[in-house]
Amino acid sequence: MADTIKPASIIAPSGTISHKTTVHTLSQGLIVDQLKVVLDGYPLHYDLALAPYECLAIQGKSGVGKSTLLHTLAGFETAKSGQAFWQGQDLLALPAHKRPISMLFQEHNLFEHLSVLANLRLGFQSQPDIRLIQQAAEALDIADQLSKQPTELSGGQRQRIGLIRTLLRPEPLILLDEPFAELDQDTRRKAARWTADVARKNNKTLILVTHQDEDAELIADRTLQLKASAEQ
Amino acid sequence: MRKIANNPSLNLSQKLGLSQKQPSSSLLSRCLSRCLPLAVGAAYGLILLMTGLAFYGLIGFDQARLQPELLVDPYILQILGFSLEQSILSALFSVALALPIARALHFIPQLQASKPAFLSLCLLSFVMPTLVLITGLVTLLGRSGVITPLLPDDWNLYGLNGILIAHIYLNTPLAVRVLSQQMSHIPDSSWRLAQQLGLSRWQQFTHVEWPALKPSLLMLLGFIFVLCFNSFSVVLALGGGPGSTTLEVAIYQALKYDFNLSEALTLAWLQFTLAGLIFALIARMGKLNWLSADTASQRLQPRLSTLSEWIHQTLYGLAWVILLLPILALLPAVFDASIAKLNINSLISAAGYSLALGLIAALIAMTLAWLLLIPIRQASLKRQENRRIIYQWLATHSLVAPAMVLSAGLYILLLPRIDLDRWGMVWLILINSVLLLPFIIAQLKPRLLQFDQQYSRLSENLHLNFTQKIQVIWPFVRPITLGSFALALLLALGDVAVFSIFGDSHYTTLPWLIYGYAGSYRMAEAAVASLILLSLCALLVYLFERNTSAKNKRKSTHG
Amino acid sequence: MKTDLTRKNLTCRKVFIAIGLLFASLQVQAAKSELNIYTYDSFVSEWGPGPQLKNIFEAQCDCSLNFIAVEDGVSILNRARIEGKKTKADVLLGLDNALIETARQQALVQPHSIDVGHLSPSLNWQDDTFVPFDYGYFAFIYDSNKIKKPATSLAQLIHSDAQVIYQDPRTSTPGQGLMTWMKAVYGDQAASQWQTLASHTVTVTKGWWEAYSMFLEGGSDYVLSYTTSPAYHVIAEEKTHYKAALFDEGHVAQVEVAAISRYSDKKELANQFLAFLISPEAQSIIPVTNWMLPVIDNAELPAAFDQLIEPKTIGFSPEVLAEKRSAWLREWRQAASR
Repeated sequence: MADTIKPASIIAPSGTISHKTTVHTLSQGLIVDQLKVVLDGYPLHYDLALAPYECLAIQGKSGVGKSTLLHTLAGFETAKSGQAFWQGQDLLALPAHKRPISMLFQEHNLFEHLSVLANLRLGFQSQPDIRLIQQAAEALDIADQLSKQPTELSGGQRQRIGLIRTLLRPEPLILLDEPFAELDQDTRRKAARWTADVARKNNKTLILVTHQDEDAELIADRTLQLKASAEQ
Repeated sequence: MRKIANNPSLNLSQKLGLSQKQPSSSLLSRCLSRCLPLAVGAAYGLILLMTGLAFYGLIGFDQARLQPELLVDPYILQILGFSLEQSILSALFSVALALPIARALHFIPQLQASKPAFLSLCLLSFVMPTLVLITGLVTLLGRSGVITPLLPDDWNLYGLNGILIAHIYLNTPLAVRVLSQQMSHIPDSSWRLAQQLGLSRWQQFTHVEWPALKPSLLMLLGFIFVLCFNSFSVVLALGGGPGSTTLEVAIYQALKYDFNLSEALTLAWLQFTLAGLIFALIARMGKLNWLSADTASQRLQPRLSTLSEWIHQTLYGLAWVILLLPILALLPAVFDASIAKLNINSLISAAGYSLALGLIAALIAMTLAWLLLIPIRQASLKRQENRRIIYQWLATHSLVAPAMVLSAGLYILLLPRIDLDRWGMVWLILINSVLLLPFIIAQLKPRLLQFDQQYSRLSENLHLNFTQKIQVIWPFVRPITLGSFALALLLALGDVAVFSIFGDSHYTTLPWLIYGYAGSYRMAEAAVASLILLSLCALLVYLFERNTSAKNKRKSTHG
Repeated sequence: MKTDLTRKNLTCRKVFIAIGLLFASLQVQAAKSELNIYTYDSFVSEWGPGPQLKNIFEAQCDCSLNFIAVEDGVSILNRARIEGKKTKADVLLGLDNALIETARQQALVQPHSIDVGHLSPSLNWQDDTFVPFDYGYFAFIYDSNKIKKPATSLAQLIHSDAQVIYQDPRTSTPGQGLMTWMKAVYGDQAASQWQTLASHTVTVTKGWWEAYSMFLEGGSDYVLSYTTSPAYHVIAEEKTHYKAALFDEGHVAQVEVAAISRYSDKKELANQFLAFLISPEAQSIIPVTNWMLPVIDNAELPAAFDQLIEPKTIGFSPEVLAEKRSAWLREWRQAASR
């Protein structure tokens, strides 16, 4: 039941990256090389590469191992073998709290006993600019929620709060695990455009796990289909 | 390939004015997080060293040795049988009585108004100094007790009856508090789902309530079993003869008059092994389940059937009466006391010393508990079950190590080496702290593990430093931390066992004063002192409950 | 009755400190020698004999008395035993006849050099090491308002259905006293008598005060205590209805003693203190604060002491007590636990 992601450069739509620049820029970006993770007894295999500032969408059926890839990169699952490099640095050698990664989980993105604003202030090395947070909240229609407690918010509102913090944090590599799952159609588009915009402006490299083609189109430079190896 | 935005003004980290250098506060953080493993090691070292030294003290003096032949002595076997019998019965009765009371508190809307008061009374009962409780029970159920005429003619408080009544009085309230807390952690969604699926009330109990309560029930059974197995003052006072003796009491008797260290040592190991095994077994079986405390609100609760509600409500009413009676029973003796004879000064200073000693012991115990919990939390996160259980056992082993051996062993070891007239109080505080650890850890651990379960990945991902971690975790654990601190302080206030060995007569505590009064024919003064001690406990319960429930109320509005 | 094992301390030593400060202001502190006395808590409590004795003795000796209090008599012995030659004690005060032999065997004490010729001849005291400072007879106390015809012998009490509270011989001095009493009266038949007594025993308590307070609250018809207990109720409470039952077989006595520690280097001062303990002055204080009988005949005492019962003495020598105690204890715990 092993899954495989073909090297990104092979699947990538031709013409987006010239072959010459690929080798050079990839060493600056993210390289996942023959990464093997065993989850509940099933081995999962990953191979992919991202150029700096590239946005990649990953799609695939439930249970195929999309979240596991993100959790392994962020340091919450342990790889059996293989390597992962960011800017030439061995990611797997770093503890989770030292990796240059900001991740949005499917759930538990907010400390429920802290106010929304207190949650938004976490994860920065010094006090974040409150105006930027305010602007982002206005763009995502949650400006009036900042003084509340997370328990008073709907699932979609919490997701957007988490999304704001994940993108505004200084870490260069962003991992989003189904960030828009609980949003309605309009809000979803709005959030996707905002994400693409901020990632671009702030030089983020981004991996997005999603079930929706539209999310991928709005944000990603390219899309990977993650498949169980048996299907191939 | 997408164009790279080069405009520096749009670079967020620069726009936010973030410096890549860590601010000085995180220098402190880094230093603290470096020192932490050392502190954890020191904490484990300290508590293990104290137990080790205590046993060494017994072994090292007069060449005491284990006497395996004692294990077949009919009298020792009888003690062992009785210890097991009374502690199993006490644990079963306490939990069985607590379950309907906790359910009544949870399901019957009319009782919600009196719930906080009842839970406070429960806390007071659990920490009630045994000296005070025993006086109350004798007044009520002794030979010329108030209730005794209503009982069968051959009623005798002393023996198994009295021991069970006292143990149930002390431990049922603990079980009520724990179970009631667990019930409130069942999320609304479970009830919604249960009703949507058309489950009967019984099916709701077996599918929703039981799975939420079962692990706590097992833990409670184990905890109460060990408390009663090691019971000392209650058994001494209400045992009624050599037939109703626990191992702990037998150790005391061997140490006291015969100064028979070999017998004490053998009995101590027997108790240590048995209680330790049973507790470890139950700790393994009764795992804590993960219920998201903060997402649970109490908007939608099923009702009990009319008959069932009536039964539950009656039990609840009875519980109020039973918990209050021993306290009320103190009052008549107090009115006998003539105020003129009372030495107000010694009462006040004893209350002061009790508080001061209790506070220091509780603070040290709290600090130790946090440190000891660190490896337990790490093991739990990494799902290293055996490792977690070993650390947990080490951290709470003072629950099963005989307190009498701990203090007597250290006394024998230290007396020729240290000026205990000067340093005795330090050891008094240390031993008390170690004895408080199991209670604090039992309270703190579930909440901390819950935090880790829900938020450890988030905290890691947010790259929180040491001080930020503290800032994030503190609001989450504040109520339970204050609550367990209060519990520790209250338990420390009632100590007489350790004081009797390490105490300094310059710093007489309230319970000690009570013994002193009673030992000099001054029963009325003893009653007054008991009432002051109890009032002090009640005041502390009130203060801490108010403090913690204010926080809860704020939280529940968000829930 | 003061060596009861469970007596707890309630010492408020402010009195001593105040006195100490007073003396310090009058004299040069450093010039005074100190005498360390190991004793039990209730001896030095504010209503015990300690404060008054210290006051008077310090005025005579130009020294400072330093009481170090532990829980009870047996704790004094155990502490001296554990400390061995490092002990601070100059005098051990508060052992009793049941502990004398152990203290001697463990070589914790040394002979005194005072004259004990004026002790009551009835004590027949001949020991060269231990000095008695008070004594008392164990007795069962009853409330004469409730019991009109008290038992007149131990046998009568044991074979009655009157409810009895006594103390555990493993943890309490009166309990040991009753055990000695049973053996002195019944010898080899004691086991069956213990069983008969157990059938109407309300409870066996750890210590004296638990038993006595239960009795005062109406917990039993009889409680094991001392012949001197009624004197307390008369003098301190003006209650005359608590009485000690006089038994035909005779009563067992407890003699409380003091001795000089083997490791003391202040022998002279220690001897001076022992002599003071049996002086008329000290002997008129001890009975009304420690609630025991004086060891000299001419001590001045309140009238209530004249009304106490005067039993015949029975019992065993300290040597026999030390030798037989373990066997007697085993016999008791087997018989009484059935």
